[in-house]
Amino acid sequence: MYVKVRVDEDKCIGCKLCILACPDPNVLTYTENKKVSADENRCKGCGLCVANCPKDALVIS
Amino acid sequence: MKKDIFQISPGFEDIMPAEYRDLIDNGPFEKNVGVSDLGSFKELLEEHPLCAGCGLALSLRLILASLPNPEDTIIVGSTGCSALAFPQVALHNIHSLFGNQNAVASGLKRALTLRFPDKVKDVVVIAGDGATADIGLDMVLQSWFRQENITTIMLDNEAYANTGGQESGMSPMGTVLNMAPKGKKFPKVSVPELARESGCAYVATVTPAQPKKLGKAVVRGILAARELGPSYIQVFAPCPTNYKFKPNETISKIKLREKEGTYETKEYITAEAQELFARLEEGKK
Repeated sequence: MYVKVRVDEDKCIGCKLCILACPDPNVLTYTENKKVSADENRCKGCGLCVANCPKDALVIS
Repeated sequence: MKKDIFQISPGFEDIMPAEYRDLIDNGPFEKNVGVSDLGSFKELLEEHPLCAGCGLALSLRLILASLPNPEDTIIVGSTGCSALAFPQVALHNIHSLFGNQNAVASGLKRALTLRFPDKVKDVVVIAGDGATADIGLDMVLQSWFRQENITTIMLDNEAYANTGGQESGMSPMGTVLNMAPKGKKFPKVSVPELARESGCAYVATVTPAQPKKLGKAVVRGILAARELGPSYIQVFAPCPTNYKFKPNETISKIKLREKEGTYETKEYITAEAQELFARLEEGKK
């Protein structure tokens, strides 16, 4: 079973709390339009970003 | 070290790995970035084999992002979980014998001072709790007594996690682990107080739940080590694999332990270091 992170761009407010909670490098990056984007191929699916997001904009599935 | 040393020779760009090219274009070298800029540059750590939700990996990532001078930093590592991540770090690093890391770093710092008297070279020791508080306590304490100008960072996951979960000196009293079924018999070793009493200029305990505080402590530790003497930083990095909690609970576990009062974040600064930080922070403004 593979679990990967997905970002809902409408809910994301660009607070970067998920970037500071992710144990793997270069998974979550901050884009030019002040949102977070995820590289699904690098994600291990631990769910720390989901636990830290104040707006429930991230989903592990 | 200047950036042109690791620049790709013209004509060879297409055969170099994509990660290496990314590191040269967007890496943190010569840019003065910190923890709050994470996500907007290519990090020094690459895909590592540590477990999902590992607190140690998170701490290592934040520490590497907050180094004030990454192009002139040499990391000395030791055996443990952190040693699995060091081959993926884009900095000069040395793997020493188990527990020998501070002795290696002392010699390295002295040699670098003789070889490059006009340059600033930071030597940073990053080791686990077993290497710092149990097996290497002798070398760690002696390097502090000798007032070597090195920064010691302990990634405290409270167990020997790499070998299946034995108790370490830093495990709290009564901890039951896979290979410690009877529970630990004595309390957690208080290394920050040992560091303060044996002459460290700057001592801090931080957690990755407060990333900006962690970054500030790392920068302060390295600045104190450059001018005054040894510095010590202890980072709490809980282990989901051996302490049997879900990987997404790492940060809430840290917050819970801080609330209970079983893990305190504290800072000891000597008067000289206080003066130095005041001077440097004034110069920044």
